[in-house]
Amino acid sequence: MAALFDPDRDSGVPGGREILAFADAAIGPDRAALDRARRNLADSVGPAAVPAAAAIAATFTKNDRIANGTGIPSELRMLRNSRGIRAEFGINGYRSSANTFRHYPDER
Amino acid sequence: MTLYADSQYPVREDLDAVHARHLDQLADPGTWGTGAQRLAIAREVRRACYDAGTQEEPEDTGPLSDVELPDPVCGTVRKLAVTPKDFLEDSYEEARNGGLSDEEYVEIVGIVSRLTDMDVFARGIGVPLRPLPAAREGRPSRVRPRVAKKEMAWVPTVPNLPDGGEEAAEIYGEDYRPYIIRSLSLVPDEMRRHLELEEVQYLPMKNVFVADYQHHEGFTRAQVELIAGRVSALNECFY
Repeated sequence: MAALFDPDRDSGVPGGREILAFADAAIGPDRAALDRARRNLADSVGPAAVPAAAAIAATFTKNDRIANGTGIPSELRMLRNSRGIRAEFGINGYRSSANTFRHYPDER
Repeated sequence: MTLYADSQYPVREDLDAVHARHLDQLADPGTWGTGAQRLAIAREVRRACYDAGTQEEPEDTGPLSDVELPDPVCGTVRKLAVTPKDFLEDSYEEARNGGLSDEEYVEIVGIVSRLTDMDVFARGIGVPLRPLPAAREGRPSRVRPRVAKKEMAWVPTVPNLPDGGEEAAEIYGEDYRPYIIRSLSLVPDEMRRHLELEEVQYLPMKNVFVADYQHHEGFTRAQVELIAGRVSALNECFY
């Protein structure tokens, strides 16, 4: 989990470093970094990993915009199960957290 | 000829087909916007991404458009396309105060979100953005679910069963649906398209809670969730 917030940490997932570098580059402005990350991902995990990783980055590109664009709150069950993680990684500080905490102020 | 025939990496047929269909459908009249308006929104999404450096303009962009979008639409489109983490309730209120109805607003959120999705995929596999189609004539359907109402999102949504009644059963089936599924339900066609991409690109919804379910050949569920979590962290999506 820590690697999601600090890609220098070991995620414990095979190819994790290359996957995280690809995620950063796929939605970032550095085209050369993306080309490099794509090659490294293919070398490390295999050529099929490139469209798979791109599809997942694309999906969450969409979902994050839908969530933040419609102001939906987190589901209460998810919120209660994530209290420790949210506190540890500063997720409660995201500006979009307001969409949830205005309904559930006691769940911070 | 497939949409991603020029890709150096193998793209699954179902993924290629759903992107081809979704890009083409942007040219059709939607629920609240004409084909020309929907394509003008798509062009504004791309311009914003070129300006931000997160996409490169392709040689073939598709036919030009003479539709000029109102400022509130441009503002909403550009901000949501480029900086979703800064998209707050005041961004929504600006759009509404600028004259957009909730229904038009939801259709715009759907278009921006789906096009940025497909464009991130294209750039991710290393191919130029696909050209946009030419607009097709026709009138928007202007179909609004009767039961949609203000719940906990900024925009009205179709409630889950039993409150949502027949309309909820028709668009959700019998199961409880979380907000990420219901967020675009004010414009059911946009909700369906969002879920079509979800099922092909991420995994079939029925398998979400099957921890070891693998949807992508050569890419495990743990690898999927690693990239999903990282993208959402970068976008500061609390949901």
